[in-house]
Amino acid sequence: MSIKKRERIDWLFKQIFKTTGFITISLLGGIFFMLLYNTVSFFIEINPIDFFTGSQWNPSSVKSKFSIVPLAISTGLVAFGSMLIAVPLGILTAAYISELAPKKLQNILKPVIEMLAAIPSVAIGFLGIVLLGPALAKLFGIQNGLNALNGSILLALMALPTIITISEDAINAVPHTHREASLALGANKWETLFKVTIPAAMPGLIAAVMLGLGRALGETMTVLMATGNASAIPSGFLDSIRTITATIAIEMGEVPYQTTHYFALFAIAAVLFLITFIINLLGEYFANRLRKFHH
Amino acid sequence: MMIIANSVKIRNFNLSLFIVVLLLFSCKSDNNTIRIKGSDTEVNLVADISESFHTINPKLLVSISGGGSGLGIASLINGTTDIANSSRRINKKEIEIFYNKSIQIDSFIFAQDAIAFVVSENVNINSISTSDLSKILNGTYSTWSQLTRENLPVNIYGRQSNSGTYDFVKNKLGIEFSTHAKQMNGNAQILEAIKADNSGIGYVGAGYLIHGGIQGLKALTIFTDEPTEAVSPLDAKKISIGAYFFQRPLYQYFKVMDYKKVKPFLDFEKSEKGKKIIHSSGYYPVEL
Repeated sequence: MSIKKRERIDWLFKQIFKTTGFITISLLGGIFFMLLYNTVSFFIEINPIDFFTGSQWNPSSVKSKFSIVPLAISTGLVAFGSMLIAVPLGILTAAYISELAPKKLQNILKPVIEMLAAIPSVAIGFLGIVLLGPALAKLFGIQNGLNALNGSILLALMALPTIITISEDAINAVPHTHREASLALGANKWETLFKVTIPAAMPGLIAAVMLGLGRALGETMTVLMATGNASAIPSGFLDSIRTITATIAIEMGEVPYQTTHYFALFAIAAVLFLITFIINLLGEYFANRLRKFHH
Repeated sequence: MMIIANSVKIRNFNLSLFIVVLLLFSCKSDNNTIRIKGSDTEVNLVADISESFHTINPKLLVSISGGGSGLGIASLINGTTDIANSSRRINKKEIEIFYNKSIQIDSFIFAQDAIAFVVSENVNINSISTSDLSKILNGTYSTWSQLTRENLPVNIYGRQSNSGTYDFVKNKLGIEFSTHAKQMNGNAQILEAIKADNSGIGYVGAGYLIHGGIQGLKALTIFTDEPTEAVSPLDAKKISIGAYFFQRPLYQYFKVMDYKKVKPFLDFEKSEKGKKIIHSSGYYPVEL
């Protein structure tokens, strides 16, 4: 092959890689611009103060009410609940896998947990309707199990693989010398785990929780199916809720384009985007700190 | 290693581009397929009708999907369907959009539907007035105590706001639904929820009661404040004379310029065979 030909091929591939890279960036930019443009159109028509302080989301009534408050509280509640369940469960599972489990069990547990991530969200939502819903209704003596708790449990299930995988990496990344030093000073296995290994892995664990939280906040189908979608401000975990994502999914089909309601859906999508963006950023930040610590 | 991975990616990219182009072409409306979209109430009925329509007219294909009346009309606006099934009349905003796009549309009423209000058979009530119903649905009565003397909370199971049934009940009673009303994914889910909930109330198309089974459930008879007798949503005779409060025509909207294309299907719905299917599906054919 002549040098010229080689250089041409080199040049060609460079260009191709450059374009693919730019395509991704411009797609992201395009989505961001569209969200922003429609959100601005919304705030021209509706006062932002009403949007952030009102108490009702009811766009289809005669006096349309656009307030993100009940939706944001619902999203927050269900995500918070899912983290209450998933964080202790996830971190302890990760600690068990990396510190205590025998090698054989480790090799089974890891892929099985990662399989959890492969279950489609619609299937999990279905389980929420037919299995978890009736079970919760029976357990708490309530009439219907489609509520925030149901959603939280399902979302915890979906966030677990993310949390466990990243936590496990974080705990594994703690240098062996730390553990050896602790054991040499007379600490037992448990003291070493809780007082040395886990604190040392903390940035990674926080990253794991943040990424799991991002997953829970953005999930749509499962919460749409399993939480009842009542748009009142919830007063507890046994109330039906309606998240930002579910609202968009339910209502986007009915809105004629370029109406206030249409812009409103973009506005709540933009808020959700901002929240998940910040959380992912935090997650990445802590994950990077872990990487530095590792080297 | 890098280069191999990336060249595979590029090949995949080309392939997916090819598929996208293929899809775009196949999506172009051809004259052999009538696309019908909209009301979830109508989707099963229209599917039944189109099945026997297909045996008579094998050349014409009919594709049907649900998603709600609002979605159907929005699709008609956006050009992704030929017929919009709608269980409500087209509203002012939508008419305006058609007008602005200078698209002429026409409507066709092919059947009557009745909305049944359903409670568990354990609720001690058989008929209800429209004013009490309003108070239940808008959240004024938060327990059943005013109606049945039982101090159980009222749980409302309704449809999602993109459903024509939701709009119909809301407008017919002139209320805003309580924000505590649960919004379920469809008729079947509402029935299942009420079967399990001895203090729930919900509304579904009467057709679903006949097919989904009414075991463990009760369809309330409805009366207005004028001294008339209460009418059941399952009473075909009363409905054919328009005596039930929550009955409504089922519409199909289409563009006037598409009339030639959709006419064979509309004609079939009007035929004796079509009427028979409508009746056996739990709806009420329109007397012509």
